[in-house]
Amino acid sequence: MNAPKRYSDPILAGVALGLVLLSTILVTGRGLGASGAFASAAAATINTLAPAHAASVPYLAERVPSTAAGIFGDWLVIELLAVAMGAWLSARFANRLQWRGADDVGDRGSARIVRAIGGGALMGVGARLAQGCTSGLALTGGAMLSTGAWLFIPVAFGSAFAAAYVMRQLTRRGQSV
Amino acid sequence: MTAPFFDVAPVVTAIPVGLAFGVALERAGFGVPRTIAAQLAGRDFTVMKVMFSAIVTAMLGLFWAERLGWLDVSRLSLPPTDLFPQLVGAIVFGAGFAIASLCPGTACVAAGTGRRDGLATIAGLFLGTLLAAELWPWLGRAAENHLRLDATLPHDLGWSKGITVALLTAIALLAIWCGGWIERRVHGGIAVIRPRVLPTLSTVAIVLALLAAAPGRAEVTVSADVAPLQLAQWLHDRAPGLRLIEVSDSSDGERSRIPGSERRSVASLDTLTVAPGERVVLYSEDPAVAAEALAVVRRSGTTSVETLRGGVEAWENEVMSPVVPSTTDSATIASFARVRSLSAWFGGRPVLERRTDDVSRKRRRNTC
Repeated sequence: MNAPKRYSDPILAGVALGLVLLSTILVTGRGLGASGAFASAAAATINTLAPAHAASVPYLAERVPSTAAGIFGDWLVIELLAVAMGAWLSARFANRLQWRGADDVGDRGSARIVRAIGGGALMGVGARLAQGCTSGLALTGGAMLSTGAWLFIPVAFGSAFAAAYVMRQLTRRGQSV
Repeated sequence: MTAPFFDVAPVVTAIPVGLAFGVALERAGFGVPRTIAAQLAGRDFTVMKVMFSAIVTAMLGLFWAERLGWLDVSRLSLPPTDLFPQLVGAIVFGAGFAIASLCPGTACVAAGTGRRDGLATIAGLFLGTLLAAELWPWLGRAAENHLRLDATLPHDLGWSKGITVALLTAIALLAIWCGGWIERRVHGGIAVIRPRVLPTLSTVAIVLALLAAAPGRAEVTVSADVAPLQLAQWLHDRAPGLRLIEVSDSSDGERSRIPGSERRSVASLDTLTVAPGERVVLYSEDPAVAAEALAVVRRSGTTSVETLRGGVEAWENEVMSPVVPSTTDSATIASFARVRSLSAWFGGRPVLERRTDDVSRKRRRNTC
């Protein structure tokens, strides 16, 4: 197997990402997103497993897919699945696929998995309150000069720097990352 | 030409957009939790460089597309603003971001490249979203009360769009340069992959931002007037902060030509007080009078003031008696449905054809 290629220059990668965002907005009238897809997915899953419960929780009931296409009628769900596909293609041709598993960011093995689930859950709650995440609110809203986005960017990254510091103190091995 | 694919089936645009987004994120190294952890430890500024250069690229692109008349901003869906819940949400989200060392988009990239922690983050996101939905009766109490769909920095701060774009570009470039400086000086140098990229692209961004901030003719012609249909939509939606003024020197009791307007003379406009967040739209029977009124209000220091494009005549032609398109093109007919319902709301009536005098034909071409 060939050696993995190195990642792009950050500035070039950023400009490329910005051009993807710009053309998406110009052509479709909407920006990129990610966390919104999880709201649709959660609503559709609960609607399948426990329809009565989904109907009794307004936040879910409003988001249950109404068309025959179901969850696949949601633009964000399709887009996010394509993101994973695009990432796979890109990594495949650069020999960067990592089938063996998880990154060491201070914890290994099952501890890393537990951390990922916990962090994901906090982001899930936070993104619902903020009505967006790093893709839909920070990137897209930032480019569109949304006031909420320019509040979210410094606060979310400030909070992330603080939480990362606490996590490094807790795990200690994080110093060697 | 704005948003030509706004109404097509999701798969048509979502798949190419998602693929391109995924490739860009993967190539940036965003699918690697280690990259994000190193950023949050302040050692490697890849994440900040990518985020800011992406935002600056798209922001300058959108600004210039609008300035050159290629983009109708009213068709875009702007991410909503609701400050208090967004503040709390940002704090919670940031903590989760640091703990997972992935965000929702990059978790999908990590999972797509085979990382188990990417899949675990996706599972966590799913659970957290479900939890938020279940707790929404409590969590959402603060949310959605002050939701604003049109909150932008220029509107809220009362700055011109050009100045705002230029300032944000300056902040982003400064942050990118500082990040690079910290990498080199404090941590002894992460190899710069392409040394000439940053100076070259920064120069381009600075030039575009300076031109954006310069008060030019374009700013006056492009962003100083409102299309009649846009005004109709705002009135219909009861857009917050909208203040419509009919400029007229006659004080007879004749009804205003557009519902919801106050009537003032040109002379009284230099004492016009505009509250923060208010957007003033001026119109008049005679477009020259409206232009004069615009200049008066601008001189008194108010920037959030616009005129109705084409004045009362355009309002009559485009809102009160719009011409039914004589075509079977489904996209045209679909977009006319919006015009028809707005027209009906104001008590107007679409007409089959209009006498083709040169003035209205020319105006129609301009607004397309």
